[in-house]
Amino acid sequence: MAYEEVKVQTPLYLKILPVLSICAFFGSWEFIVKTGIVPSTMLAAPSEVIKLFIVKLTDPNPDGAVLSQHAWISLKEAGIGYLLSLLVGLPLGLTMGWFTTVRGLFRPVFELIRPIPPIAWIPLCIFWFGIGLWGKVFIIWIAGIVPCVINAWVGVGMTNPTLIQMARTYGASDWQIFTKICVPSALPMVFGALQIALAYCWTNLVGAELLAADQGLGFLISMGRRLALPQMVVLGMVTVGIGGAVIGVLIDAVEKRLLAGIRR
Amino acid sequence: MDTQSVANEVIKSTREKQAFSIIALIRNEYFLYLVSSAAFVLLWHWVAKEQILGKSLATPYDVVKELGRLMTIKLAGKNLFGHAWASTQRILIGFSLAAVVAIPLGLFMALNRTVNAIVKPVFDLFKPMPPIAWISIAILWFGIGEPSKVFIIVIGTFVPCLLNSYNGIRLIEPELYDVIRSLGGNRRHEILQVSFPAAFPAIFAGLQISLSIAWTCVLAAELVSARSGLGWIIVQGMKLTKPELVIGGMLIIALVAWLTTLLVSGLERVLCPWKRHIEGL
Repeated sequence: MAYEEVKVQTPLYLKILPVLSICAFFGSWEFIVKTGIVPSTMLAAPSEVIKLFIVKLTDPNPDGAVLSQHAWISLKEAGIGYLLSLLVGLPLGLTMGWFTTVRGLFRPVFELIRPIPPIAWIPLCIFWFGIGLWGKVFIIWIAGIVPCVINAWVGVGMTNPTLIQMARTYGASDWQIFTKICVPSALPMVFGALQIALAYCWTNLVGAELLAADQGLGFLISMGRRLALPQMVVLGMVTVGIGGAVIGVLIDAVEKRLLAGIRR
Repeated sequence: MDTQSVANEVIKSTREKQAFSIIALIRNEYFLYLVSSAAFVLLWHWVAKEQILGKSLATPYDVVKELGRLMTIKLAGKNLFGHAWASTQRILIGFSLAAVVAIPLGLFMALNRTVNAIVKPVFDLFKPMPPIAWISIAILWFGIGEPSKVFIIVIGTFVPCLLNSYNGIRLIEPELYDVIRSLGGNRRHEILQVSFPAAFPAIFAGLQISLSIAWTCVLAAELVSARSGLGWIIVQGMKLTKPELVIGGMLIIALVAWLTTLLVSGLERVLCPWKRHIEGL
């Protein structure tokens, strides 16, 4: 076969199909609810969800808060827990990667905590903190700390050994090697951790709020179920999904800015 | 192994034997493991004994005693192993259902642009939604029985399975295709002999991620509504304010979750000996 010119342009049908498929998805969703194939007590049509969304912007009934307040509470809990987990997890993971003493002291406890899903801490949290803000912050902290530690640790472990040996030859101390070589070269992995941890925090936040909360998006979902209002459940799910997507995009943008000059 | 790796620096432990010294002892990793485990248990015991956190923490001894008691007596018709099996069974069913559908779909999406154009947008809509958020709607649809729990696990594990088999094929080095093409292979050879084997490690990485998500999902579902399973044990402990039951349940969860992870990585070692590190996953 002779050399062919590479086609850059995507064919027209590949551009139209995604739009069609989204339209078909929402169309058939609306259709099966409106015609009663799926009873309206089980699933709400998209139009109803949008209607409820507009109502919920101003009306605190029947679950006690407007939508923006629920979203704000969830964001606050996730934000505090996430920042705390970064604050503890990243230094811990980085030092665990390089210093034998730190690794020796923290690894057994970390290995014990690692396989426990954060959701399992909820009952203990309710014992310790009640159902207020700090119980959920604790769960999110536990959720976020595991990926932070693992990625920072692996990131330090992946440091190019030639660089370390070079620094040793020039007489750098252990601490200098750590700060000047290991930490910078672990940065891409650390940024990976930021994203994984955030997604993980967001998931567990919803779980925590389903079980122990009186405000927040997860609470909105569970109230929707208790009041048998499927449109409220779907509204909560959609808001949570949008929140997660927006946060993911933000982190991506920040990462691109900060890591512009670093190899990946 | 006679080598040990710190920050990728291979240290051969063939150096000559050193005289015993305190400094060498406190630098020894395994000795420190012992010290920190002991310190952790002692601290835990002390905090629980002095009731610094009120009556909400049980001593390690109480926890072990409670676990021993659970192995013999029955809670809601099942002993500890029964409950652990109930949770594991839900995970295995949901996990295999999701894997059977999601992995081929991901492969298809990566190999065929038309399928990709149809499925990807809808998949992207569902991707950012945490699986736990589906619990309420699962209960509305399936009631509080087994199907709703399996459904949540399927939803939760579907995303990483599909994503990883999709990315696994897209991140294959183009050189591999060049090789098979210059050896005269056609499209079928490309798919069967390059795409699938090269995507295998990524698929297994997806399975590992799925597994940990599945544990989160099954626990959340059992905490919300269940009559058996490890999550139910924890809830029971919470309702009866028995912290030893809660902590015992958490430890068993950690143990079973760790065992299932070992199972999958063992399976990987058997099925996929050519595993290598893939950049960007």
